[in-house]
Amino acid sequence: MDALISYLVNVISLGGTYALLALGLAVVFSVLGLINFAHGELMTLTGYVLLAGILTGQPFWLAVLVAVIAGGISAALMEFAAFRPVRNASGATLLMTSFAVSMLLQVLFQNGISPRGQAVPVPTWLTTSLSIGNSQISKVQIMSITVGVLSLLALKFFFDRSYWGWAIRAAADDFEIVGLMGVKASRLIMFAFLLSGLLAGVAGVLWVIQRGSVDPLMGFKPVLAAFIVAVIGGLGSLTGAVAGGFILSAIEIALQTWLPPNVMPYRDAVTYTLVVIILSIFPNGIFGKKSQEKV
Amino acid sequence: MQRKSGPSKVTKMVVSLSAIMLLSACATGEGEATATSSAPTTSEACTVKVGVAGSQTGGLAYIDVPNLEGFELWAEQVNAAGGIDGKFTIETVVKDTRSDAAQSATVAAELVAEGISILITPGDADPSIAAGQLAQDEGITAVSWFGSSPILPLAVGDHMFSNAFGDNTQAKVLADHATEMGYQNAYTLGSPDSAYTNLLPGYFKEAFEANGGKVVGEGTFSMGQASFSVIVDEIKALSPAPDVIMTPAYEPDFPTFIKALRGAGITAAVLGTDGIDSPTTLALADIAEGVTYTTAGVLKNEGAMSTFFTDYNAKYGKDPETIYAVTGYELGLTLDAVVKQAQSCDADAIWQAWSNLEGAQGITGTISYKGGDRMAIREVALVEIKNSERSLVGTFAPDPATVPKAQL
Repeated sequence: MDALISYLVNVISLGGTYALLALGLAVVFSVLGLINFAHGELMTLTGYVLLAGILTGQPFWLAVLVAVIAGGISAALMEFAAFRPVRNASGATLLMTSFAVSMLLQVLFQNGISPRGQAVPVPTWLTTSLSIGNSQISKVQIMSITVGVLSLLALKFFFDRSYWGWAIRAAADDFEIVGLMGVKASRLIMFAFLLSGLLAGVAGVLWVIQRGSVDPLMGFKPVLAAFIVAVIGGLGSLTGAVAGGFILSAIEIALQTWLPPNVMPYRDAVTYTLVVIILSIFPNGIFGKKSQEKV
Repeated sequence: MQRKSGPSKVTKMVVSLSAIMLLSACATGEGEATATSSAPTTSEACTVKVGVAGSQTGGLAYIDVPNLEGFELWAEQVNAAGGIDGKFTIETVVKDTRSDAAQSATVAAELVAEGISILITPGDADPSIAAGQLAQDEGITAVSWFGSSPILPLAVGDHMFSNAFGDNTQAKVLADHATEMGYQNAYTLGSPDSAYTNLLPGYFKEAFEANGGKVVGEGTFSMGQASFSVIVDEIKALSPAPDVIMTPAYEPDFPTFIKALRGAGITAAVLGTDGIDSPTTLALADIAEGVTYTTAGVLKNEGAMSTFFTDYNAKYGKDPETIYAVTGYELGLTLDAVVKQAQSCDADAIWQAWSNLEGAQGITGTISYKGGDRMAIREVALVEIKNSERSLVGTFAPDPATVPKAQL
């Protein structure tokens, strides 16, 4: 029973972060058809802003808030400076642009801040754990779960009830039709990047608090995981991004918990094999639309 | 999963292709000015051309950048004094390997083609093997900044050295310390993602169990993984509970691991290795209190290190952050002793002198290679974090006969 509780807690806390990251990718993909690999660097930037806030003596909540907003604004600036000039170019050009932005930011972090990781001091109340039954759950995990679930609920409310939420969901189905209905493409794309950046900000804060440090290359692994999550769920599917987050998390945690020790070094290989099996059953992802090519 | 004993076919292909491309470039006139060695074989004045294939960017920059800063400080001082023995000046050619093994091979090929007398390789075994192979083939001495895996010289050949003590040696020091502290049950946590994180737990286990201790659990992690909660749950479930945990994890994994460990209320002692000797670990404050680790020396502005602090600060406008700045300077001091012995800038003379070096005076102690396995024979410092500061437990030079054998 304790093992099951621990498993569920680990799955939900990691899955929530994955879901937030994948949603950030999915929102941009739905309006621009682009997987933004610089999304991870938005997380890293959020981490450095959080660190700066804490080191300058700001209250923790204020440092977190400023860091998340910085993620959103940076994403909007990224769209304006890097992606808008090539918006009508091919998908390959957009993809290369996102890699270029990613590497540029990494080098800026390394040379402008430090190639070394920086410890992010978090309040001591976050470093202890709570007992639930015979299980002990760290407060960082409880915070991850709470923030993750609340963020996902807020997003659902936003997509269901707001004008821009409807517009993004509609764009995910058919971007051109949304344009024909009077939604300005530039504003929609800018808004999608802003939302994506805010999601990267929330995920970045959770990631940094859990890891305890921020380094220039921090964003690479999460964005890779988010990409896999988005593919599992179905590229462009917002529901799929959330589902994919929890599926990948459930696979990773299950393997880490129950894989025999002598097979453990092959855990990542087993994880990705399972992902391939899922994709062979659902070639467009679990919630992906079947692609139709008109001749 | 253990690393292969030599470079892969892919690496060799990349190396070969790079060499062919460079040779073609030279044949067409590009690089013509630097394709020949500037090294006479007499004791006349000459320039020691040092090729640095180091990581200015990427995951190894945290070790290579401070090493390079220390080395360049030494080179500047030597040249300002007229060179080693007043006649052997130092020219440093630096190229970025981007923490990538294939890029390390490409860069090494470029540097070899420029006629270097010695090659410095990244502070990790895998890219150093790729780069060192090029130097080995050309009869040029290659030295890793601080790659501590003892498989490094074995995998490359007799021209490959490291400025670091071996991982088997630092594991022996940690195991002896654990035994002395009365710890009986240990848990080790490694990662198959690098030779360093993969093999160190095994060296520790061998030495600790030879001392009479028992390793009750062995975990693995993926470098950069999101969470260590499952591993912490696994440690909590162990019976008997470990009284000491040894891990070669370093940034950013070590902070994540120890936060999760202490957050779950596990109070077992934690032993780490030289990768965690950084301000990031110290900044973990209470969480890292009591963590004990091996390193090259205690980075403090006092004693033999105070002059280095002053000079470093004068050049860079800041204090050194990690011991790797000191080890980079010490690599310069080692080269100083080697060239004094060789009285030449010739690559072969330097190799002969490097192989037979004894008692070169560094900042943290003496450095020798004669009679060893081409890993630096130097003392290992054991440091405990107390009140967020480094505190020296002692320095150790284990009897080589008791050190676990290097694993290929």
